[in-house]
Formats: sequence, structure tokens, C-alpha cells
Amino acid sequence: METAINQTFKTKATKLLGVNKEDAKISKTYLFVSFVILLVGGFLGLAQGLNRAGLLELPSWLNYYQVLTMHGVFMLLAFTTFFTFGYLYAGLSHELGGLLPKVRKFVWTAFASKIIGAVLVVIPILMNEASVMYTFYPPLKAHPMFYIGLVFFAVGMWLCNVGAFIQVANWRKNNKGKHVPIFSYFATGINVLMFFALIPVAIEVLYLIPWSLGWVKTVNVMVSRTLFWAFGHTLVNIWYLTATSAWYVIAPKLIGGRRWSDTLTRVVIIALVIMNITGGFHHQIIDPGISLPVKMMHVFMSLAIGFPSLMTAWAMFAVFEKTARKQGGKGLIGWYKKMPWGDVRFLALFISMASFAPAGAGGIAQTTNQLDTVVHNTMWIVGHFHLTLGVTVALAFFGISYWLVPYISGRVLTPQINKLGVIQTWIWTIGMIFMSGAMHTVGLFGSPRRTSFTTYGDHATALGWNPYMMAMAVGGTLLIIGVILQVYAVINMMFFAPRGETEFPIAEAEENASPTPYWTERWGLWIVVMLLVVAMAYVVPLTEFIVNAPPGSPGFKTW
Amino acid sequence: MQQFIYGLLLLIALAIPPIAHFMESVMIIHMHMQMPMVVFAGFLMARLFMDRFPRFFDKWNGNGVPGILLFVIIVGFWTLPRSMDDALTEQSVEVFKFVSLSLLAGFPLRDSWKRLNSLGKNILFIFFTILFLVVGWLYIDAPVQLCNNYLVIEQITLGWGFLTTAICIVIYLIYITFTDRTKYE
Ligand code: HEM
Ligand SMILES: [Cu+2]
Repeated sequence: METAINQTFKTKATKLLGVNKEDAKISKTYLFVSFVILLVGGFLGLAQGLNRAGLLELPSWLNYYQVLTMHGVFMLLAFTTFFTFGYLYAGLSHELGGLLPKVRKFVWTAFASKIIGAVLVVIPILMNEASVMYTFYPPLKAHPMFYIGLVFFAVGMWLCNVGAFIQVANWRKNNKGKHVPIFSYFATGINVLMFFALIPVAIEVLYLIPWSLGWVKTVNVMVSRTLFWAFGHTLVNIWYLTATSAWYVIAPKLIGGRRWSDTLTRVVIIALVIMNITGGFHHQIIDPGISLPVKMMHVFMSLAIGFPSLMTAWAMFAVFEKTARKQGGKGLIGWYKKMPWGDVRFLALFISMASFAPAGAGGIAQTTNQLDTVVHNTMWIVGHFHLTLGVTVALAFFGISYWLVPYISGRVLTPQINKLGVIQTWIWTIGMIFMSGAMHTVGLFGSPRRTSFTTYGDHATALGWNPYMMAMAVGGTLLIIGVILQVYAVINMMFFAPRGETEFPIAEAEENASPTPYWTERWGLWIVVMLLVVAMAYVVPLTEFIVNAPPGSPGFKTW
Repeated sequence: MQQFIYGLLLLIALAIPPIAHFMESVMIIHMHMQMPMVVFAGFLMARLFMDRFPRFFDKWNGNGVPGILLFVIIVGFWTLPRSMDDALTEQSVEVFKFVSLSLLAGFPLRDSWKRLNSLGKNILFIFFTILFLVVGWLYIDAPVQLCNNYLVIEQITLGWGFLTTAICIVIYLIYITFTDRTKYE
């Protein structure tokens, strides 16, 4: 009881005094690292874009595939991970009355582990010993240090997950029978998903280490790919869920409205957690060794994730319309004028959401076997994930940064930086329309992904790709301007903006809502259901791969 | 009434020959998807009868034990390789499969579950864990084909299906034993 009082006192105290200094330091460090990585990763992306347009020849000491591996690892794994934890822990600290000292230790240890991991991964790439792309599919064989680095990175992620679990469990003990506040509920879902998604890839990497050291001669390629995608797919969806949390929780507040149905929000989170991991198979539609009925089953499993995702789109537009009409918006579409388009925090989130419509449509197309045979391993795929990751996720993260960074730094968002942010958001959007549009189109014409510039001996088809590659380079150039502006804005807000209070904008639940049922808090149960779904999806193909395995493959260094 | 209709529709859908044929063509889908779904259809349909004839159920299934025993016997029977084979070869056994799993397993499960005390529920969970472990081990380790209709690889797959399900139940049991709900709720 005493701790409970203590706790509520502390909650009130942080609400009054703003951010907790020590917790702010955690989030600041994570976000700073995240945006530095974005800067480096952006230049690597630009180098690729210019190379593929035939405008830039990369030096022999840093070839296309080194750059590509680094760009993939930096953007997909590092930028996103550091940002997500900086953001989630700021929210946990804000909502749950400050982080526990024990949790802080977890998060700092995690930070060290991730940095060590990142260094260990980058060294062999720079030595040209690990050009295996971020997917590190065997039989491509990297230097052992690369895989060991991945283990450190994964341990860092796990420690962050566990820290969040401890924080939430502690809050629940002190607030018996209450629902975990909505932001922390999102954080719980995200951490649960990440914790379990890391298990398959950890198993894979722990097998690849002795293989790359030469202690084990061969590796089962299909099992490795399957374990990888159980993770890789889920990871992407974790970033998506992180972006979603801002749409649900933050966006309504920014426009002066209330959240969408609390119950249904929590149901969406549970559904996304339960059904996500099995979606990994849609990355293996063209893989041999999986029978057609199993692939068929997985089409349904993938599309099942589409359902809660679509619910999300519907929910958000409902919230926007309701709020805008309350503020006097009229007409079928006239209410759109009531939205704060000049506010970067809203604009970036809005474009992030809107881009999910074409991105999701493309994703549904790719899930279909026949359509995927046309676009598999072409630039179309690269166009697709620059929409999902490069816009839906990245713009959501950028939009968040315009209040989160001032919040943790005890500073304010100035009108100048807001304006800069609006410009940045449009540059980024136009750049991505160019780049991703060109990638989609040229992919349909057959231009392969993951291939440095070549004209295939001046083959007519390949020459026909060049105009699109130019458009891609133009998009990439706009994007690097966007990256520079964004990083500048972050640095400014972190260290130079005027001091002041910034709010952590969490929207209230809707008025006269019916109470949320308590079963939404039973994570133990939902985790078991998730494991059952995973078992259902993976037992058939994995048994087949292992029992009827072909001879394993030795490693290859093809570069 | 609504639940009854949903249950009936599900049962009919599962029994449509092309669907039934497709599900039965893969051993693990036959046992781990079709059969539980038939039970679930019965589970949904039971509500109507429980509301109409409460006295009947009170009289015969007062503490839930007779009902759950019936459920265990029926489900246990359908985990045997021989019964699956028969269902595929004999039309009458196939009909019995649908009738028994819905009426004699789904119905009593619904009626008994809330009558059972927590000891009963735990015993049931533990019983199924052991059953699944044993059957799983049997299917994985059997050196010969146990069903005329399914290859050894399918048998092994089914075995792993049983083992993973058992593992999930064990995780759940550990979770409810070692977390003290009263601390949080
Ligand atoms: C300055 C902005 C960016 C530019 C110019 C850029 C450009 C490119 C190009 C040209 C490729 C690959 C082409 C190929 O397959 O040969 C690529 C791959 C990739 N990009 Fe970006 N990108 C940018 C930002 C991002 C962002 C923000 C993310 C994610 C958050 C991202 C994630 C990826 C991933 C995961 C790959 C795949 C790497 C692989 O195939 O192994 N990129 N990018
Ligand atoms: Cu995916």
C-alpha cells in the first residue's frame, strides 16, 4: 500500500515536473544514436541510387555489396531499434511514473550490448568479409565476427524487452485491477512480439557461428531461411506497430480530439501480436521445398494480418473526421480543411498513414503466388519496402521526433523548426514518390534488386531501365536532403532550441466509452495462443525440411 | 439460437465433401484442424440445448465429471491412428466422426467446463499434456507407417504437432501456477 501511494505521488510528480532527468538521458542517447545512423545510412542509400543510375562508380575498397549490406543493416535494424526504444522508454517513464532503477540498468546494459554488436557487425563488412546483405542467407558465408555481432545486438534487444516487462509488471502490482495505460500497452505488445521474434533468428545464428568457424561443415539452407523470416517479417511489423502506436495515441491529441475505442485498440494490438510471426512465409513464396497446400495456407495467414491493419486505417479516419466535424468542419470532404496541415507533428504522421494504403495494396499483391512470380527479387520489392519502411515507418518516426526530442531535452519546438519540418516532410514525400515509383515500375520490367550497375552488354531491355534509374537517383538526391534536414532538426531540438516545457501528447479515451474488458490484460494467455498459432504454421514445413533434408550446403564466398 | 446456427453452419461447411476431402488429405490438418473444429461446432451448438433442457443436464452432469469423461473418451478415441484410417475408408465411420465429435465431445465439453472445479480443470490439462506427449512420441518414433492412408513423414509431422501443443499447455500451466493473479488484478 505504501508503495502504491508512493507510486501515485511519483506519477503526479513527474506530470508536474515534466520529464525524469535520468530517463530522459536514456531516450536522448538512444535517439541521438538512431539519427546518426540514419545520416550514415542515408548516404549509403544515395551511393547505391547513384551507382545504379550509372552516375557513380564505387571504389574497390567499398563496393556496392558492402554498401548495400551496411545500408540494410543500418536502416532496417539499427536506426529503427534505437529509435523505438528511445521512444517507448520515454513513454513508459512518462506514463508509469518514472523508470525503476533496475530497469534503467537493463536499458543501459542493453545499449552497451547493442553498440558492441553493431561494431562487430560493421568491421567485417568494411573488411569485405561479410557482403551477405542484411538477410545473411546461407550458403553465403560471412566472417564469424559478423554473426557474433548479431548475437550481441539481439541480446541488447532482449534486455530492453525484459526491462519493459519488469516496468509494466511493477506498475500493475501497484495498480491492482487497473488497465495498463494505452501507450504502455502498445509498448508491452511491441516488446512481447520482439522478444519472441528474436528466438528463431537466435537459433539460426547460433547454428551459423560454428558453421562459419568451420567446426560444422554444412548448413540446412531452407531451415535457415525459414528461421530468418520468422524474425525478419515480424521485425518489420514491429516497426509498423510502433508507428501505429503514434497514430492511435498521439495523432488524436495533436488535432485536439480523443482516441478511438479503447477496447478495439487493444484488440488490434493483441491480434497483431498473435498472428504476426507466421506471416514470415510470404517472404518464401518462391522458395522451393514448400508444398503448394502449405503455401496456400500461408496466403491466408498473411492476409489475416491485413485485417487488423485495415481496421487501423478505418479507425484513424473515423477519429479525424469526428474531431474535424466537432471543430466545425463541413461537407463530405470539406472537413479536411480543419486539420492542422501546417503542424509537422501531424503532417508527418498523416502522410505516414496515407502511404500505408498503396504500401498495403502492394503487399497484398505480393502475397499472391502468381503475382509474386512477376516481381520477386526485382526492384519492385525495393520500392515496396521503401514505402512501408521508408515512408510509413520513417515518417512516423520523424513526426514523433518533433515533440519527443524537445520533450526529453526540456526544450520547445520553435516555429522555425516546425517550418523546416514541414518542408522536410514534403521533400521526403516527393523524394520517395520518385524513388519508390521508379523502383516499382522498373521492377515490373524485370530490373533485379541487389545488383550493382550493369547494362548487360548493352542489352536493349536493360538499357530501357535507365530512365527509371535516373528517376530513382533524383528521388535519392531529394531524400538525402531530407535526411540532412531531419538530422539537423533533431540536433537543434536536442541541444540548441530554447528551453521550455513540451508535453508528451497522449490523447484521452473517447467520451462515455464502455469499460474495457479485463481479458485484454491477460498477456500470458495471448502469448500461449500466439505460440499455438506459430506451432500450427511451422510444424509442417520445418518437419519436412529437416526429415527430408537434402545434403547440407558448405559455405560460399561469392564476392 | 444464433450460436446454434453458427455451429451448424460450421459443421455443414466442414462436412462438404471437397472441404472434408482437402482437410483429410493432410494428416495433421485432419487431426489438428478438422477434428477440433468439429468439436468447436458442437461446442457452439450446445448452448441451445443447455438453455432448453437445463434439468436434463443438471441431473446427469451435475458436477461436470460424467460429461468431461465422455469428452475424454471420444477425443482419446480419435487420436488413435486406426480410427483415422477407418474414417477414411468406411463411410459410416466418417459419419460417426462428425456426430461423435460434435454431439458427444463438443456438447459435454461446453456443459461440463463451468461445472468443473479448478482441480478438475487442472487434472484435465495435465491429462491432455501427458496424452499429447505420449501420442506425439508414438507418432514421431514409430518406425513403421501407422496409417494405411498417410506416409511416415506426415506421421512425424503430426507427432511434432502433438509435442508442440503439449509444450504450449505446459507453458500455460507454468504461467498460471507461478504468477499470482491476485497480485495484479
Ligand atoms: C536517403 C534515403 C534512402 C535512399 C536513397 C535509399 C536507397 C536504396 C537503394 C537504391 C537500395 C537498393 C537497391 C538494390 O537492391 O540494389 C536500398 C535498399 C534498402 N533500403 Fe534504402 N534508401 C533510403 C532510405 C531507407 C530507409 C529509411 C530504410 C528503412 C528504414 C531503407 C531500407 C532499405 C533496405 C532494408 C534495403 C534492402 C537492402 C538489401 O536488399 O539487402 N532505406 N535503398
Ligand atoms: Cu513480411
